[in-house]
Amino acid sequence: MERWRRIIARLRSLLANKRAEEDLAREVASHLTLLTDDFERRGMSPEEARLAARRAYGGAEQAKQAHRDERTVLWIEQTMQDLRYGLRTLSKSPGFTTTAVLTLALGIGACTAVFSLVNAVLIRSLPYGDPNRLVYLYTPNPQFKLPVEIFGPAYADFYDLKRDSHSFQDMTAFGESVFSLALEGAAERVSAARVDGDFFRTFQSAPELGRAITPDDNQPGHEKVAVISHVFWQSMFAPAADILHRSLLLDGKSYQIVGVMPQGFEYPHFSDIPYGEAQYKTTQVWIPLALTAHELADRDNTSGNAVARLRPGVSIAQAQAEMATIMARLDRLHNPQVRGWGASVKNFVDSTVGHVRSLLWLLLGSVAIVLLIACGNAANLLLARAASRMRELGVRVALGAGRSRIIRQLLTEALLIGLAAGGLGVGFAYAFLRVLPHLDPGNIPRLREASLDTRVLLFTVAVSLLTSVLTGIVPALALSRVNLTDFLAATGSRSVAGAHTRLQSALIVVESALVVVLLAGAGLFIRSYINVESVDTGFSPSTVTMYVSLDGRYSEPQQRIVFFRNLFAKIEVLPGVQAVGAVNNLPLSNTEGLSMFQVDGYPNEKSQLAESRWITPQYFAAMGIPLVAGRFFTQDDNSNNEYNVIVNQSFAKKYFANRNPIGGRVNWEDNHTLWSTVVGIIGDVRHSSVEEAPLPQIYHPNTGFQGGYIAVRSVLPPKALAVEIRSTLHSIDPNLAAGDIQTMGDLESEASAPRRFQTSLLTVFAAIALFLALVGLYGLMAYSVSRRTREVGIRMALGAQRTDVMLLVLKKASLLLALGLISGLVASWFATRVIQAFLFGIGRHDPITILSVCALLAVSGLIATIIPARRAASIDPMQALRAE
Amino acid sequence: MPIQILQGTLDLIILRTLATMGPQHAYGIANRLQQVSEDALNLNQGTIYPALVRIEQRGWTRGSWGKTENGREAKYYTLTRAGLKALNEETERWRQMAGVVEKLLAEEQ
Repeated sequence: MERWRRIIARLRSLLANKRAEEDLAREVASHLTLLTDDFERRGMSPEEARLAARRAYGGAEQAKQAHRDERTVLWIEQTMQDLRYGLRTLSKSPGFTTTAVLTLALGIGACTAVFSLVNAVLIRSLPYGDPNRLVYLYTPNPQFKLPVEIFGPAYADFYDLKRDSHSFQDMTAFGESVFSLALEGAAERVSAARVDGDFFRTFQSAPELGRAITPDDNQPGHEKVAVISHVFWQSMFAPAADILHRSLLLDGKSYQIVGVMPQGFEYPHFSDIPYGEAQYKTTQVWIPLALTAHELADRDNTSGNAVARLRPGVSIAQAQAEMATIMARLDRLHNPQVRGWGASVKNFVDSTVGHVRSLLWLLLGSVAIVLLIACGNAANLLLARAASRMRELGVRVALGAGRSRIIRQLLTEALLIGLAAGGLGVGFAYAFLRVLPHLDPGNIPRLREASLDTRVLLFTVAVSLLTSVLTGIVPALALSRVNLTDFLAATGSRSVAGAHTRLQSALIVVESALVVVLLAGAGLFIRSYINVESVDTGFSPSTVTMYVSLDGRYSEPQQRIVFFRNLFAKIEVLPGVQAVGAVNNLPLSNTEGLSMFQVDGYPNEKSQLAESRWITPQYFAAMGIPLVAGRFFTQDDNSNNEYNVIVNQSFAKKYFANRNPIGGRVNWEDNHTLWSTVVGIIGDVRHSSVEEAPLPQIYHPNTGFQGGYIAVRSVLPPKALAVEIRSTLHSIDPNLAAGDIQTMGDLESEASAPRRFQTSLLTVFAAIALFLALVGLYGLMAYSVSRRTREVGIRMALGAQRTDVMLLVLKKASLLLALGLISGLVASWFATRVIQAFLFGIGRHDPITILSVCALLAVSGLIATIIPARRAASIDPMQALRAE
Repeated sequence: MPIQILQGTLDLIILRTLATMGPQHAYGIANRLQQVSEDALNLNQGTIYPALVRIEQRGWTRGSWGKTENGREAKYYTLTRAGLKALNEETERWRQMAGVVEKLLAEEQ
């Protein structure tokens, strides 16, 4: 009770501090008066009595302080004092404060920005119920030597697994598709998923409007329903309230809209499925998978994806074991030629974000280095300032401030700077997040969901506090080794500041070393990026491409072949057009067809795979893919009964070594009776990725694809060409439209977007780090020149030349830089190990990068030093000697 | 030889003084301390301030401004009922403590 009363009284005293102080002053004065009166009564003179009273009372200020300490909550009271004092001193030197705050804000801002990304991608839970129980199911076949993720289960296997397994609570099969969406005369391409009746249940996601796709919808005759995404609803139907009464025209077929998914559900994303067929970043429409009886019995096609939710308590290993047992049994039902289908259960979350985890940690590590450098700079600024504040601090010590109190004061100032920088840093991070969607490289899931949520802000606060401590502790400890009151007696601060400069120099060395590590990393990334950019993709970047999809009216293959032939006849005569062709899958468009084949007269292995494409005769000419030998296709190649193919150089080199490929024979898909003749060899094309060496490729003449990419080589600007082609298309069939108009250069640029993203971020961070380190170096040099004015004056008075003085400064800066460079290079030698996997075409000890880093640091470091060096050289010895 | 005042006993002494003398100002209390101890307690008069504020904040005394016989203004501390109770308790505790210490010292000899 009394304790509480006392605590409340002490807290109240904080608020009513002014009155309590007045009361105390009055009481002390009264006490002294009474004492004086007494001494006078004993016969002392007034003056003697006054002195005696003082003696009897003891130190009045100390008594007051003891009273205060007892009266209030000491640390709050003192902290408030420190804060007030700190604010006052900081606002008195705005130049120092601004520099320190900006420096730290850059570091904290960069950290906050990257952490918000890490938070969105790695920390925030995926919005699918308990995502840790979700798994992908694969049925890999080791004989193909392909990544496990390529082999989704065949539909028949999937439904047998669903029936026989006990590890899974829910299982769903789905495929990715792209449809042409007819909207008021125009056509758009829209990304869709074809899903079975358990899809939404497996993901534990419910629509915000209407209903999800059910097993009933997957029955034949009921499949013309669609669920759309929130974004799609908002953008396509300008949120019409009667959305559930509308329908979509997809590839010429009408689908009734039955539901709208809430914002944030756009699964599968492009980045979710490593070897998926998605061409767009998110899924906007879900329609029933509606498998036919034939598809349900199919064990050969593994085009689907399968996701399952583990029963509570079942581990991935247990599920894997059970699935393997079942697959061993199902494997015997497969085509005897291709057996060996296994089982693989993979963690969903790891599959979704695993591939970007190391990149994000790398980025976070780089900004942590930036922050460390910023801390070093701010600490250096505080050190320099502490040296010039010796007198003030000395006076405070003399007046009774304890050492710990002085340290606290310095830490409080660092804290104020750190918090201000934190606030500003959040601003920087906010700006970064506004720019981020424009940088989206497409391979980082949920990148666009990065935001400054509570967790990020708490992180920023924690980083700001840590920064404050790191920054403030250096000068505080440095000062605690100095006897401040001694300093009052002396006129100069030479010895004291000497120790400081050594510490400051050490900080600069560490900073430069850290910068070297970042520069080396960024340099290796840039060199890799240049290497990727200079890869010969095998096609011409100026070729304009677009997608044309034929609807159900073109049911016969021959109709489709004729359609493209007519279209090309009209396009070819457009002025400026040089060649036009079509292909079922464009290079770098994330769609690939792999076929098994055998070569006549070659010791064929089982399951050799080649990338295969179907093309029209002028495709290679339109794409600028060079003919190496033989000939291109002609109109006749698919009309008579000869089967001809064209292969790429890699194919020719591997399977027709030391013999002429032209006229050689190839068959495919285990059809040993149907042989095709090789009529031409063309250059290698990078199909699936710019960074992967081309695989053997086989091209077949068009046998009537339903939808294909048109490629046009012309001298017209792409936009003008697109207008021409659209009107040509309209004149042939007004119900068809061309979508996805882009140049091959655009596709190439999209393919290298992830590398561009990581390279530019790392480069920007390295640049910030370099800038900060240079500011730090400049600051230290300028400071030491101003401090050594007198020394320089004496040297010059004794005959030193201006160049000698300049060299003096430059020598010191070079020494610091050299030390930093050497230790930085040693650190990079080991540190670059973590970026090994990100490099392309160079080793991690690339000498050109190392030399460039050295040159960059040396040149920029000397530039930063030249101003203070010149200032030193321009010191007037007479003035310098008179100054002190 | 001057003795150092034991930590925590100053509160008790001040309460006792106020109970004996009635409302008193800081100077009066300090004077009384010196008289009773026959100057053996060598303490600056200012050192009783923390004890004064501690006691007041516990609600054991109430401070109010008044005039001395000589017409000087001074802050008078009055013992409250809670203060009186605390004095009894603290006195009892001190006696027990002193008794134990005394007994121990006697046995050691």
